[in-house]
Amino acid sequence: MIGLLKGMKYTLKQTTKEKVTYAYPHEGVPLPDRFRGIQKFYPEKCIVCNQCVAICPTDCITLTGKKHPDPNKRGKVIETYSINFEICILCDLCTEVCPTEAIIMTNNFELAEYSRSKLFKDIDALNENDTNLRKENRV
Amino acid sequence: MIEDLLNTTPSLINMMTFLGIGVCFLFIILGFVTYAILAERKVMGFMQLRTGPSETGGRFGLLQTVADVLKLLMKEDIIPKQADRPLFILAPIIAFTPAFMVLAVLPFTENLRFADIGIGLLYYVAISGLSVIGIMIGGWASNNKYSLLGGLRSAAQMISYEIPLVLSVIGVIILSGSLNLITIVDAQKPIWFVLTQPFGFAIFFIASVAELNRVPFDLPEAESELVSGYHVEYSGFRYAFFMLAEYVYMFAMAAMTTILFLGGWHPLPFLGFIPGVIWFVLKFSIVVFVLMWIRFTFPRLRGDQLMEFSWKVLIPAALINIFITVILIEVFS
Repeated sequence: MIGLLKGMKYTLKQTTKEKVTYAYPHEGVPLPDRFRGIQKFYPEKCIVCNQCVAICPTDCITLTGKKHPDPNKRGKVIETYSINFEICILCDLCTEVCPTEAIIMTNNFELAEYSRSKLFKDIDALNENDTNLRKENRV
Repeated sequence: MIEDLLNTTPSLINMMTFLGIGVCFLFIILGFVTYAILAERKVMGFMQLRTGPSETGGRFGLLQTVADVLKLLMKEDIIPKQADRPLFILAPIIAFTPAFMVLAVLPFTENLRFADIGIGLLYYVAISGLSVIGIMIGGWASNNKYSLLGGLRSAAQMISYEIPLVLSVIGVIILSGSLNLITIVDAQKPIWFVLTQPFGFAIFFIASVAELNRVPFDLPEAESELVSGYHVEYSGFRYAFFMLAEYVYMFAMAAMTTILFLGGWHPLPFLGFIPGVIWFVLKFSIVVFVLMWIRFTFPRLRGDQLMEFSWKVLIPAALINIFITVILIEVFS
């Protein structure tokens, strides 16, 4: 009998405690820094080494490069770069192998769209995605 | 006001007035049910360290139940092929109608009531027993052995808990001398019956939780274990009818607890300036809150423990309560 009343007092006190749920989407969800979200691409840092294309487990990255416009410099610069987010699994391998950290992940994860064409993000979309950047890459 | 209406000569205007008052009351009850369901979900959330519904209709989820009811009304009306069609359709109606009929005898204040019959309490207990038939019919007509077992279990539970319900009220009847609910409330003017009949109140409260098929006595429904018991085959608005019946019974039972034991519309000693309706609503809300609080605290009783508890604990306790009441009246009169 006393146990029953103690149980009821406990549940009553629970109403005053702080809630453990997040009020998403009204408040942001606290994410750790190394969270793997949508990628951010820096076209000026890319050296078109193709390592990200080679290592991608789902083959979702496609890129083309052109010769460096400045005739005195060697190497290539990036012309088009796109990631197909229908099959990208946000596994982070492309950022691990990139030697110049031209592609890093951010903490944005909201990818829901109403049409499939918007999920095929090209170089401009990936360049503009520059909020919540991850500070530690290549771990 | 109702007395005057009842004494006028019958005419079309008279009938339309009664119809209008009845429909008005029905809408008030539906409003209560809507916000009682929302309140239950919010209180359940808060006791489980989360907020309840908080998206639809503003920050407090005020339109959540409306959305749920609309969803239920728009669902496909499935009747199983081998089910007993007339009984299947009748069962929710038989389960709900007594719930609404008993509200006619409940006095909310001395002026705000419908029927002033001399046997109000007996009417209440008798009519609320009729809904057991609806549950049994629902269990049988679903053509589903688990639903049948659930229906039988529910019928057994409800009739075996009606006995302590009535026995515990006999003390109140002896002390007030009448079955008329208004006389019972007026007899509580000096002191509320919860203080002179504490055991009667405890037994009545426990039996009422069992009558409402609420946790810890909700084995017939057993939402998470027995796949809903007797209303497993009901979907859409028929299910909404069963749920409506449950919540209207909660209204009726909480109102009855307030009237029989907590003094109805009488105020606490020094706060008589607050009108009686507010007192009734306040006491009623506290009873409803305690019913919900019990639901979220305790686990469910097993089937045999349930039956044992009624027959071996509550009925002897209620009988002892009657004896003690009578002995004390003889000694102190």
